Amino acid sequence: MISVRNLIKTLGTEKVLRGVDLEVETGETCVIMGRSGSGKSVLIKHFVGLFKPTSGEVWVEGEEITHLEERKLGSLRKKIGMLFQSGALFDSMTVEENIAFPLREAGLRNPREIRDRVAEALEMVDLAGEQEKMPENLSGGMRKRVGLARTIVSRPACVLYDEPTTGLDPIASDSINHLIRRLQKRLSMTSVVVTHDMKTAFHTADHIAFLHEGRIYFHGLPAELRASRDQAIVNFVEGHSGETD
Amino acid sequence: MLTSLGRTALSLLQYLGELAKLVYETCAAIVSAPIRWRLFLRQVVEVGWRSQPVVIVTGAFTGAVLTAQTFFQFNRLGMKSAVGSVVAVAMFRELGPVLTGLMVSGRVGASIAAEIGTMKVTEQIDALRALGVHPIDYLVVPRVLAMMISMPLLVAEACAISIIASRFVLSQVLGVTGPYDWYNTQHYVGPRDLDMALTKGVVFAVLIVFIACHQGLNTKNGAVGVGRAPTEAVVLGSLAILILNFFLTFALNMVFPAGLN
Repeated sequence: MISVRNLIKTLGTEKVLRGVDLEVETGETCVIMGRSGSGKSVLIKHFVGLFKPTSGEVWVEGEEITHLEERKLGSLRKKIGMLFQSGALFDSMTVEENIAFPLREAGLRNPREIRDRVAEALEMVDLAGEQEKMPENLSGGMRKRVGLARTIVSRPACVLYDEPTTGLDPIASDSINHLIRRLQKRLSMTSVVVTHDMKTAFHTADHIAFLHEGRIYFHGLPAELRASRDQAIVNFVEGHSGETD
Repeated sequence: MLTSLGRTALSLLQYLGELAKLVYETCAAIVSAPIRWRLFLRQVVEVGWRSQPVVIVTGAFTGAVLTAQTFFQFNRLGMKSAVGSVVAVAMFRELGPVLTGLMVSGRVGASIAAEIGTMKVTEQIDALRALGVHPIDYLVVPRVLAMMISMPLLVAEACAISIIASRFVLSQVLGVTGPYDWYNTQHYVGPRDLDMALTKGVVFAVLIVFIACHQGLNTKNGAVGVGRAPTEAVVLGSLAILILNFFLTFALNMVFPAGLN
């Protein structure tokens, strides 16, 4: 589904990605893990063309998108949805208008059909009946759910989750983890989840990629990651900073 | 010193280049992408309708005070019947477009930069892009079209109100009555002056809206950046209006020469 080859990305003077190679298979849930600031979000933003690589290639469904102009990325972006870290809801619109946005942009005009599809998407993210609320009146977890409803309402083939549980309490995080898994089963989508939350990673992943020092340091099954004795992986999984009091 | 000058010149060139690119992309989008008429109408309300109090007060009091000052000077020379025409020409050719431009830059330019800037730092623009919607089509084109339609009308309205205010002050406050003043106004003010006002209105609209959209789209550094974007949009927009107005006056005077009707 998604293939990244020797991706290098420099932001300002900092080389954030130093040659990333990654394959995401159709239908799987791939979790990209790494420390804060390791470039995980930068990496997945390349998958929908929100960032252009400094060098390297990005392929989606057999098509190279590396050098596609913004306007030519429109059809790709209808196939790949993205849930942003903050939810990125349009704050001047109600929940219903936010979720209906991709439908209206795709040319759907029938108000009843739009209403039904919005209600269905909200039901999928356990927020039935919240159509009239404004984003400012939602909690962090609810915003992410509405953002997810907006992402899945047009049934993309793949969903990218950027830190879906960051900033949420443990119960809300667990609920989002279940939601990701449930949606994956119900809609048979490919999912790429960026997180540094071990619970999210082990709960949702078919494969885990560990981004370390600008490269994919490990790519394999969750069980293989748990079994690894590599010090960088052990430190990350067990949360050891190496510092002493 | 030279290095600093060179750096300033380079950043000015870069800024102008970015602005030119935004103008080009917007023109291309107007021609090739579907126009969102609902957003356009919303912006017409925002720019045109919600600017009414500001434009009415600006036009009325500028016309009134300019009339009073002109009268105080001209009356000593026995030229009080020329006051109305001088005020009308000044309003149509300079003060109407410039003051309306400055007021709209402060009200609308700031609001555009703040709104787009907030969307930028809260990833809403990235969300638009991720949903396959080009930010220029969705955010810039409706605002540009609304400004280009609304601004000349606002300028004409400010001029008309200033002349009404001028007539009121002349006749009711300063006691200038009789036919000569109104005759002179009709004689010296004509369609050329209105054309000049409307042309300046369109040019200022383009300046205000592109500067504001550019500031918004390039907002960085979170809340600090969002705070800075509208300030810079207003400062740059106002300076651009004042500087370009000088050159525009000479250029437009060749197209719409001043003089008797």
